[in-house]
Amino acid sequence: MKSRIWISCLLLCLCDEITFLLGAGTVRREPISEAGQVNEDTRLLKDFSDRVQAYVKLHKRLEASLPPLKPTPDPAKIVSHQQALAKKIQAARQDAKPGSIFTPDITERFLRLIRNEFQGPNASHARATLRQGEPVKIRLGVNAGYPKGVPLTTVPPTLLLNLPRLPPEVEYRIVDHELILRDIKANLIVDIIPKAIP
Amino acid sequence: MRRFILFVPFIALTWSGWVSPALSPPPKSVPTLSAESQELFLPLRPNSVRFAVMGDNGTGHRKQYEVAQQMVGYRQKFPFEFVLMLGDNIYGPDTPLGFHKKFERPYKALLDGGVKFYAALGNHDDPNQCFYKGFNMNGRKYYAYTKGNCRFFALDSNYMDPEQLEWLEKELRNAGSAWKICYFHHPLYSSGRHGSATDLRTLLEPLFLKYGVNVVFSGHEHLYERIKPQKGIYYFTSGAAGHSRRGDIRKTGLTAAGYDQDLSFMLVEITGDELYFLSISRIGKTVDSGVIQRRVTSHVSELSGQLWLAAPIPDLPKRQIRKVEALH
Ligand SMILES: [Fe+2]
Repeated sequence: MKSRIWISCLLLCLCDEITFLLGAGTVRREPISEAGQVNEDTRLLKDFSDRVQAYVKLHKRLEASLPPLKPTPDPAKIVSHQQALAKKIQAARQDAKPGSIFTPDITERFLRLIRNEFQGPNASHARATLRQGEPVKIRLGVNAGYPKGVPLTTVPPTLLLNLPRLPPEVEYRIVDHELILRDIKANLIVDIIPKAIP
Repeated sequence: MRRFILFVPFIALTWSGWVSPALSPPPKSVPTLSAESQELFLPLRPNSVRFAVMGDNGTGHRKQYEVAQQMVGYRQKFPFEFVLMLGDNIYGPDTPLGFHKKFERPYKALLDGGVKFYAALGNHDDPNQCFYKGFNMNGRKYYAYTKGNCRFFALDSNYMDPEQLEWLEKELRNAGSAWKICYFHHPLYSSGRHGSATDLRTLLEPLFLKYGVNVVFSGHEHLYERIKPQKGIYYFTSGAAGHSRRGDIRKTGLTAAGYDQDLSFMLVEITGDELYFLSISRIGKTVDSGVIQRRVTSHVSELSGQLWLAAPIPDLPKRQIRKVEALH
C-alpha cells in the first residue's frame, strides 16, 4: 500500500515537471504517449535543474561569507553587497563559458518552447510586452554584470508560464534576441541563449 | 448626486522643502496658480484611509522636485499617511547618490513628516531596491499590506512568474478587507505610447475579477489617465511624477479622463464604501476628480455605473483635459 502511494506521488511529480518543461501547447502537439520524447524531456529538465541548483549552491555559499543583506536605510550597503557578491561569483566562475547551463540539448528544448510562444496564438501579446518594456540592445557576456542603469526588459508572463521554474536567486530576461539567465542579487549574467527570440 | 463634504482653499506654496542646493539648484521662479483654482475637494472624514499615488518619479529633474513640493503643500490640507510608488523609482544606476537625489531629497519633508512610501518595481528599477528601507518592501519584490479597510497589493509586473501569480491568488483569496487595491508598473489598459499590457492582462484580469479587486493603479506611461471601468474595475495610470510627455494620450475608446500636458500625482481618500480621488498637476491644478462607490457584492463583474464627478473641474482650458468622456 505504502509503495503504491509512493509510486503515485512519483508519477504525479513527473507529470508536473513534464508539463512545465513542455508547456501546455506543446503537450497537445507531442502526446505524452511518445515515451521516448517524454523521457528525453524529463532528462533535460533534470539536467537543467541540476545545473541551476549547482549555480545557486555556489551563490549561497559565497553570499554566506558576506554580512547578510537585510532591509537597510543605507543604499550604499545594498550596492556594496551586490558588488562584493558579484566579485566572489566572478572569481569562482572565471572560466565560465556560454553553455554551462544552457547546454546545446537544453538550448534546443528552450528554443522550441520560445518558438511555441512567439508563433502561437499569444504571439502578438508576447511581442507587445517586449516592445512595451523599452527593449535595449547591449552586448552581454557570461559572468559579466548586467549594465547598471540600463532598464531590465519585461519578460512576457505567458512565456514565463511555459519555461521551467527557477529558484528565487535567478531569473530569465530577454535582451534583444537573447534569453539570459540572470543572478538577481549579484546582477550577473549566468548564461545566455543567443538568438533565442525569433 | 452625493454631496461633497469639505472644501479646503489651498494656500500658496513655499519652497522651504529644498534642502541642499549643491546637486540641483531650486528653480528661480515657482509656478503658482491663483487661490481659486487651487481647491481641494476631499471629504476628510475621520478615520479615512488617505494616501498619495505617484509613478515614474525618480528622474531627479527639477520638475520632480516641483511635484514633490506640491505634495508637501497639499499634505497640509490633506494629511495623507502614505504614498504608493508605481515604479521607475530611481532612473539610472542605483547609486547612493541616485537614491539621495531622486528620492530622499525631493521627498525629505514628507519623509520627515512620517509619510511612508510603498514602492512597486518598474522596468528602470534594480530589483535589489526591495532591500531599501525607504521603499518599505521588506526584501520582497511583491507584497501586500493593510490600511484601514483596504488591502493593498504591490506587484512586480516586470516579471510576473507563476510563483507571483500563485502568491497573488492566495493573498486575494484570503484578503478579508472591503477594498482590494492592486498597483504595479505596467498598465493593463492604456492609451499611451506603450499601450495596454495585454499579455499581463490575460493572467491578472481573471484573478482581479474572481476575487473582487476594485481599483488598479499603474505607471510606465508618463501621463495621467482614468480608464472607463473595465468589467467593473477602475484603472488609473499615474506615471508623470518625474517626467511627462505632451500629447501622448492617443485616441482610443478607453479614456474616461486624461491629462498629458504636464506632470501630475494623485490624492486618494477611502472612507467606508467610497473612494475619492484627485489628480493634481505640477502647478497645483486639479485635472480630474471623482468618487468611486464600492458595491458590496460577490460578483464584481456585475458592477456598473458607479462613477460620477464628485467635484467640478473649474477653469481648465480644453487643451488640458483631453478626451474627458461622459461619466456613467
Ligand atoms: Fe517604465
